[in-house]
Amino acid sequence: MDNRKSIKTALTIAFLLVAVAALYWGDNNLSRFQLRILNLAAIFVILGASMNLVIGFSGMFSLGHAGFMCVGAYTAAILTMSPESKELIYYMEPIIPLLANVQWPVIPATLMAGVVAGIFGVLVGFPALRLRDDYLAIATLGFAEIIRIIVTNTISITNGALGLKNIPSEKSLLFYWGFGILTILVLKALINSSWGYAFKAIRDNEIAAEAMGISVFKHKMLSFSIGAFFAGIAGALMAYLITSIDPTMFRFLFTFQIVLIVVLGGMGSLTGSVIAGVVITIAMEWLRFVEQPMSLMGMDIPGIPGMRMVIFSLLLLIVVLFYRQGLMGTREFNWDWVLDKLGIAKSKEREVS
Amino acid sequence: MMSKKYLALLALVMLAAVALVGCGGGEEQASGDAAQESDVIKIGVFEPLTGINAAGGEMSLEGIELANKLYPEVLGKKVELVTADNKSEKQEAANAVERLVNENVDVILGSYGSSLSMAGGPIAADAGVPVIGDSPTNPLVTKGNDYYYRVCFIDPFQGNVMAKYAVETLGAKTAAIVQDVQQDYSVGLSKYFEDSFKELTGDENAIIAKVNYNTGDKDFSAQLTEVKSKQPDVIFAPGNFTECGILVEKARELGIEAPILGGDTWEAEEFLNRVGDLNDIYFSTHFTAEEPVTEVSNTFLNKFKEEYPDRQVNAFAALGFDAYMLALDAINRAGTTDHEAIKEAIAETADFQGATGFITLDENGDATKTAIIKKVEDGKFVYESKVDPK
Repeated sequence: MDNRKSIKTALTIAFLLVAVAALYWGDNNLSRFQLRILNLAAIFVILGASMNLVIGFSGMFSLGHAGFMCVGAYTAAILTMSPESKELIYYMEPIIPLLANVQWPVIPATLMAGVVAGIFGVLVGFPALRLRDDYLAIATLGFAEIIRIIVTNTISITNGALGLKNIPSEKSLLFYWGFGILTILVLKALINSSWGYAFKAIRDNEIAAEAMGISVFKHKMLSFSIGAFFAGIAGALMAYLITSIDPTMFRFLFTFQIVLIVVLGGMGSLTGSVIAGVVITIAMEWLRFVEQPMSLMGMDIPGIPGMRMVIFSLLLLIVVLFYRQGLMGTREFNWDWVLDKLGIAKSKEREVS
Repeated sequence: MMSKKYLALLALVMLAAVALVGCGGGEEQASGDAAQESDVIKIGVFEPLTGINAAGGEMSLEGIELANKLYPEVLGKKVELVTADNKSEKQEAANAVERLVNENVDVILGSYGSSLSMAGGPIAADAGVPVIGDSPTNPLVTKGNDYYYRVCFIDPFQGNVMAKYAVETLGAKTAAIVQDVQQDYSVGLSKYFEDSFKELTGDENAIIAKVNYNTGDKDFSAQLTEVKSKQPDVIFAPGNFTECGILVEKARELGIEAPILGGDTWEAEEFLNRVGDLNDIYFSTHFTAEEPVTEVSNTFLNKFKEEYPDRQVNAFAALGFDAYMLALDAINRAGTTDHEAIKEAIAETADFQGATGFITLDENGDATKTAIIKKVEDGKFVYESKVDPK
């Protein structure tokens, strides 16, 4: 057994090294377009995994992710923009002097974005987490909208509806996927810790969990604010990827895109969120070809905008009808499975567990 | 149980395979097109064809396609339009522009919606592909971006025009502003209206009320009651036609008699259906069918009526038309498809004859041109006057 454990550690380290090498290779060899899509996929992986922590592992049906993302995106944007561009962009009302001259490097700003979003998570969670199920969903949805409305109206901090632009751009695959892999590793460690077991116990039966001596509110709060922290990180990454943000980006419809990833991948499976995040982002872009005019068997079909959404919805319908558990259910990828199969079939190594 | 597992695995593998094939296919196509670049000039278009801004994107694209039908060639080569839907979402807009760049387009046109344009702008600038905006009116779109130009006027100008009209033609001394705080467009216009109105009347307190609402609101009685109590000479209420339609109707219902002014977004059938029989409603716009400004206006009008006989001519189609025409003109003047040369040619544009007027681009890449003021009369939009840039 010990032998197997050391093999698994070695495999994990080897996988990480291979991943870093692959990302480095990708940075130098892929086209800008491919890099952008893959980077967007990394952001959706972080969003999906962190929301899965809240919905899938802790059983809290929260719909506030877009709001926390908004906080993270604005924090990162304001911290990293140069004082000159702030002067240029805040032409309606000047930015408050406290923030006018700050300019942080990208990585600390990203972490700060997570922390600020986490603090908002605590603030929102404190009243909202006294609710359960649908009521919690409604309350968190409401809070997310409140965050967005506040951002729209504090013009001297966020520039209101005009949005921000000239946010320093990051293009490297290593940067986005670095954060993606770190997120997965942290969440994986969290889920397999005693806290993680407590989360799952609360999900499966809240009353029983409480009877066993688990502090339900404390653990819910922990899960919720960690979810918010990673949503904030993802928001910051989104700001660097697009380099311009505005409050309408973070409407609640955005949350549903993340819920989609969680449900398709499987509620309670990080592996599922990773796969679904990547596949959905790439498929959405790849399916663009169906909107172009084409000729099929001598028939000219005009381009119909929105066709890819139709195809996508059909795919969704099939998955939801036949695999209600999502792609992975609550299963995770792990090396044991690979090692077991190794003798019988070829290994199909992918995704970190 | 086992078979289900395998099915899931199979589905996954298939999806992954499909995705990989897709990427590969795209690449092949791109390189294939690069080989035959010499006989086709590609113009990329990114517009919101689905999502909340779809109506506007659709109108713009119609204008662009119209122009393409009329003038399908430049430098003796065929022009191919490559359209990409940006789904009215910022991250999709960024993807769409990156995709167009990837397909080796020479110029990009778009987009309806300033925030979408701002998402796409830096990517085009990075790749050195010039962009001509058809209707993004937010000043930030071109500010600090050397590769972004536009054929429409910007929010500050529109705000100024309406203030000038209110003071000089309507003889207003006081005004109230009703703005949608969630729309960059509404907030921007209000700001510049306020500044010029104060300047023109010479009265610091000329704006006697400024009230806010949010996109999607349906009840404006609180805001309008406040406005009514202050008795302004005019009301300036720029915003979406949906909300403004309800707002204007409600204002008249409450007995507010003051003229109500707005911006170019009001020129929509939906707005007219609501307020058609009301009076004293004015707005600024880019284009009018009744008073063609240039010869090209007539060309555009005739072609539009020929293609869409049962539709009303709209400003967004005219702007799309102009964006395409300017792109063609610039390529012609540059005499090559070198992106840098095209960019220089666009920047030098002066007195370009478009369907919406004579366009001259300033140092920011913004158009200075004539604005049209229209009013609502007997269920129709009627040409009122035009305001030339200073």
